Amino acid sequence: MSDTLFHLFAVLTVACALGVVLNKNAVASALCLLVCLTGIAGLFVLLDAFLLAVLTVFVYAGAVVALFLFIIMLLDMQGGNRKPFTKSSIVAGAAAAGLLCTGLYSFLVRGHIESPVLATTKVGGSSLRAYAELLFTTYLLPVQIVGFLLLIAMLGVIVLSKKFENLEDIK
Amino acid sequence: MNTSYAQLAHALQPEIILADGAVLVIAFDLIFGRHRPLATRLAASLALGALTLVAAFIASVFVGPIGGFYGESFVLDSFALATRGGVIVLALLTLGVAAGAKVMRNPAEYVALILFATTGFTLMAAANHLLIAFASLELASLSLYLLAGFDKDRRESAEAGLKYFLLGALATAFLLFGFSLIYGMTGELALPRIAAVLAQCGMSPLPALALVMVMVAFGFKAAAAPFHLWAPDAYEGAPTPSAALIASASKLAGFTLFTRLLWPGLGALAGDSSHALNPGGWITIVVLLAGASLLIGNLAALAQTNLRRLLAYSAIAHAGVMMLGVVTASLAGPGPLFYYLFTYGIATAGAFGVIAVLERNGGCQKITDLAGLSRRSPLLAGTLAIFILSLAGIPPLAGFFGKFTFFALMLRIGGIASPTGALTLLAIALSAVSLYYYLVVLKQALVEPFASEKPTRIHVPAATALTLLAATALIIGLGLCPSLLLTFF
Repeated sequence: MSDTLFHLFAVLTVACALGVVLNKNAVASALCLLVCLTGIAGLFVLLDAFLLAVLTVFVYAGAVVALFLFIIMLLDMQGGNRKPFTKSSIVAGAAAAGLLCTGLYSFLVRGHIESPVLATTKVGGSSLRAYAELLFTTYLLPVQIVGFLLLIAMLGVIVLSKKFENLEDIK
Repeated sequence: MNTSYAQLAHALQPEIILADGAVLVIAFDLIFGRHRPLATRLAASLALGALTLVAAFIASVFVGPIGGFYGESFVLDSFALATRGGVIVLALLTLGVAAGAKVMRNPAEYVALILFATTGFTLMAAANHLLIAFASLELASLSLYLLAGFDKDRRESAEAGLKYFLLGALATAFLLFGFSLIYGMTGELALPRIAAVLAQCGMSPLPALALVMVMVAFGFKAAAAPFHLWAPDAYEGAPTPSAALIASASKLAGFTLFTRLLWPGLGALAGDSSHALNPGGWITIVVLLAGASLLIGNLAALAQTNLRRLLAYSAIAHAGVMMLGVVTASLAGPGPLFYYLFTYGIATAGAFGVIAVLERNGGCQKITDLAGLSRRSPLLAGTLAIFILSLAGIPPLAGFFGKFTFFALMLRIGGIASPTGALTLLAIALSAVSLYYYLVVLKQALVEPFASEKPTRIHVPAATALTLLAATALIIGLGLCPSLLLTFF
């Protein structure tokens, strides 16, 4: 059962990811991204990472994609047509994808993960309580840094997007 | 990672001061800066920013080397301490450059962003943990993207900001992918524990994939070829102080972060350094990046007519030399690498300082615009000569000693007949090539007469003059007496 579900979600995710890249219409791309993220959330559920699944749906599928759609509409792209791929970009993309696939293939065929840790990695920290506790004890400092990151982003948006025409101190 | 927060707060005093200072600069401008001319607001913000930096420097000296803390997530060894002090000094130089540059809108936000970027740099210097390394790198990068695109009056600035941001975001994605693979393989985030696990399992295709991802990001942050394409546009379009910060402090912090990541963290995957072209570890990738950067940087610089683009290609060539320093860091410790990065940062920031003053006084687009500089301002011409000669690696100055140490160490790794030896010979040959384009700049500045009959004198603001003189003194002093820095390690 879980195998079937895994295949279902995996195919859905990859197909929609391709849809994001290949679609000519920006709105359709954003909607493909939505489905793609839902597929990833499904994969998380299969891995018993329920919190991550919920967060993916809430934050990414819910908020971020909605913002994408807002911005597409604010910029009035009218689902505008993208430029078609140029020949050189197709060649470069195909070469990169080929290299990555070869690397992954050689890993799947030759390599097996020798790390002794993988088998013993702790699972079960997936409840909201455990997550929150980690976030406010062990990872307190990274959270603080990310807070400053958001402050900088806010500052940047204000500075870069505000119009200053009516101020007298502009020469 | 159980630790007392008091210890954490004690060790991170410079970061706390820097972040608080940044907020303070904005608040001060908001309260007292209304209805005042831009130049006054800029001066006040710069003064507050400089005070913050000095306080942070004193705090970092006061904290001293205390080793690992916060459950090994941070390490304050001599390398981290030196980089911490180094980036603060380079940020101070950047403020000095800003004092002489074109006045922009939102001066307080500009200074605050420089302080935030410096916070990111100092955290990068001490980070010993993948998550913290990534977060602090992004803290610094995001500030730098904004600083590059800050001048809204110029289209070039917007172009520089956008290009830097898009390529930087791509590199970040690569870095995150590499980090997540490393975490997936080892189940650890702290570098010492990652090293312990990797020492057991060694090289296999999956770590190789992770390494390639991490090295792509490293190449981008260091502006090493073939990931250098953002650098000329960003250096050309960004406001001059931003370009100075990107070229100096950001390089110092980035190389410190990645050297720590590669040597203690992924040292098990280094490969055999005496057979550098024998595929087997990240040394091969570093050596290839170094060779490509040296070739592309030096040869492309020959064709430049724009002074900033020339400095950008020179930065790419220097990134190649710094990559050699990363390879030799196992042999001689991080001391020579820090020396090179720091002195390079001072020289580049100084050169941008001269450009900034020139731009405010009628523009400095082309190298030929430098003509008659020695008549127009002996101070600018003299300091520019010192900076350029140091970049070129002329003996009594600091640039020479750094390069010389790297080349000697590289030759010691595998002898002159090995691939590393060949690379060293290439680097030496290309140093001779680089002399040409550096001397063309000096010829314009010192020998060529001014185009019109009566050269106008250039007024250099006092803060900038002081900055340039201090940078010159550092370049000469450290060049004559490198042990001042090196005995610190």
